[in-house]
Amino acid sequence: MSGLYGSLSTALSALLASQSALETSANNVANANTPGYSRQRPVLVPGDPVVLGRFTFGTGVVLKKLESLRDSILELRLNQETQNQGHLDSTLGALQQIQVMFSGTDSGIGDAITKFFDSLQQLSTDPSNLALRRGLLTAAGNLATVFNTTAHNLQEQRSNLDLNVVQTVGEINTLTSQIAAVNQQIANLENVHEDASTFLDQRGSLIRQLSSLIDVSVITTERGIALTTSNGTPLVAQERSFPLTTQIAAGGIHKVFAGTVDITALIPSGKLGGLLDVRDNRIPALQGNLDLLAASLATALNTAHRTGFDLNGAAGTDLFVPPPAGGAGAAAALSVAISDPALVAASSDGTPGSNGNLLVLSAVHDQAVAAGQRPLDFYGGLVFQVGSDTASATADVDASQLILRQLEDQRAAVSGVSLDEEGANMVRYQTAYQAAARIVTTVNSMLDSAVNLGKD
Amino acid sequence: MRVNPTPMPDLLAALSRTRRDTQQALLELSSGRRVNQPSDDPAAAAVLVQNHDQTIFTARYLQSLSSIQGQFQTADAALSSVIVALTRALSLGVEGANGTLSDTDRAAVAGELQGVQDQLVSLANTSFQGRPLFAGTLTNSSPFVADNTSPSGVRYDGNDAVNTVQIGDGYQIAANKPGSQLFVAPGHDVFLAMSGLIQAMQSNSGFDAAITALRDAFDYISGQRVFYGNTMNQALAQTNSLGNVKLQLSQQENTLASTDFEDAASRLVNSQAATNSTLAAIGRISQLSLFDYLK
Repeated sequence: MSGLYGSLSTALSALLASQSALETSANNVANANTPGYSRQRPVLVPGDPVVLGRFTFGTGVVLKKLESLRDSILELRLNQETQNQGHLDSTLGALQQIQVMFSGTDSGIGDAITKFFDSLQQLSTDPSNLALRRGLLTAAGNLATVFNTTAHNLQEQRSNLDLNVVQTVGEINTLTSQIAAVNQQIANLENVHEDASTFLDQRGSLIRQLSSLIDVSVITTERGIALTTSNGTPLVAQERSFPLTTQIAAGGIHKVFAGTVDITALIPSGKLGGLLDVRDNRIPALQGNLDLLAASLATALNTAHRTGFDLNGAAGTDLFVPPPAGGAGAAAALSVAISDPALVAASSDGTPGSNGNLLVLSAVHDQAVAAGQRPLDFYGGLVFQVGSDTASATADVDASQLILRQLEDQRAAVSGVSLDEEGANMVRYQTAYQAAARIVTTVNSMLDSAVNLGKD
Repeated sequence: MRVNPTPMPDLLAALSRTRRDTQQALLELSSGRRVNQPSDDPAAAAVLVQNHDQTIFTARYLQSLSSIQGQFQTADAALSSVIVALTRALSLGVEGANGTLSDTDRAAVAGELQGVQDQLVSLANTSFQGRPLFAGTLTNSSPFVADNTSPSGVRYDGNDAVNTVQIGDGYQIAANKPGSQLFVAPGHDVFLAMSGLIQAMQSNSGFDAAITALRDAFDYISGQRVFYGNTMNQALAQTNSLGNVKLQLSQQENTLASTDFEDAASRLVNSQAATNSTLAAIGRISQLSLFDYLK
């Protein structure tokens, strides 16, 4: 196989290898900005040698395979941090909307409580004044309204989150079915020992997207990969995906099901985890506290109001419609029970000029009514809670972004396409191609000489 | 070690961070407030709820004080007129008692005394913003009415109740003095003393006892008047102290929520400088690639 023809075939192998290598570079350059793309590099090996007599001749170069450069441990960390990020992002988004309801000292529940007690004080200087009595009822009405509005907004927020949960489950199902399809492609290629790296990149990118939505564990088996949630709910097994479903449950919210198993409480991270956390834990806790405040305030004020007498000398009735037993829904249902200003029980003895009972009502301001706290202390506690939850979620998101960026950096250092590198490779492959072509020319000329040997 | 060949995402992330810092600093500078939402400073936001409450209440205490002062000034002026009227009645009584007046003259003096009595009833029914000041808490009608069945000819329809008004946290003062303690106090009944004097004048006897009773009523009511002076002094002192409280609350509000302008301005400058240099870096890197040099 040696000789001039051997050289020709060796040069040919170099031409082909250089072409393929150049193609790889071209593909890398083309995908320089493709998310999730891992750069490829040609793996060139020397051709099997031939032994002729005492000598062993090389037979050129063979493109063994195209190798994708990726660090699977890094990919795993990236997926984990993406889950964390998804969780924090959705939590923060919801919390920022919630804290608007507790912003501003000149508006909101705190202000309405203050203004109500303020109007009691005002009335106490002229207790039979109908205009001031009307003012008190207006302040009570405002207090009820602001509780209603806040409760309504929280419920609205919860419904929006619920809608988002359903949509997110839909996105998860789309992604898992795509991953299953890509798994199929990979399996098809790998069964015939073909390179599947493009599909591997695609799958990696899809898993990243899925990680931002739900917690995903990747289990690699010899027959492909399986994806489960951290509690073991299967999402994808090789070429099959297992869609999650949602079912409407009590209270009009959707539960997430895997098959027949309710996994709503078992999703700790990802966007879905964050949405569920806010929807099922944080907002209900806040609603519970608002209900407690509304119910205990209304009950305490009603009790105080009943000890007095109205402008007609009749015993006081309830100032607010009594909150529902147990307090659930008290904030949404809070309303003033009387509309006639004469019925405000300002008097402590039935005389129209007495303001004695207003002082009893005012005292509620400093009574430990809600969870052993004064109404405004309790409300201040809620403001602090909402604020610090939001602040710490903001800090967590920042930290997580930083970690994610560093991991992305590391990933890009391994897998990212460098145009400088590709440029240099291009020069290398071009030069190699030119050199090989030169050899072909030379061999050709030598063959020509050999063919014409002996001629004139 | 291979480096990340595409630093763009890093730079963009840095850019969004510095732009966010700029926005936050701008918000603080333009609004003048450091705490615009609870997450800006949760503890301060919670304290601001109390601060707002106390600020509103302090303003209300001040208004209550001014309303009480109005009532008290009117009451005090009425009592001052009562004392003038009683002084006049006393001098009339002394004049009638010296025995030089004719029956006709005494009848005229008695008539004049009756006029004083009517004036006293009217003064005792003095009202403030449509409500009698000396009726206790029975403020829907005039407390003192003419009644022939009563020994003094005047009946008290009010009660003994006293309203208290809050003028500070845990600080309440009496907002009224019922007529029963001023005009018809047992043993010091002004109207009874007056009608006694009128009777003495008409019957030309018992002047000494009648004048003594009236003098006693005079002394008593003068003594009671001190209540208004004292309470008004109290109110004045409290007004001053509430002024201080108001100032402290607004200082606390400032400290908690107001922008530290120097700090915010320097953060604005820093973040803008950071933004500019990041932008410059982005402009620089996008130009550099080996392909630019390959021919």
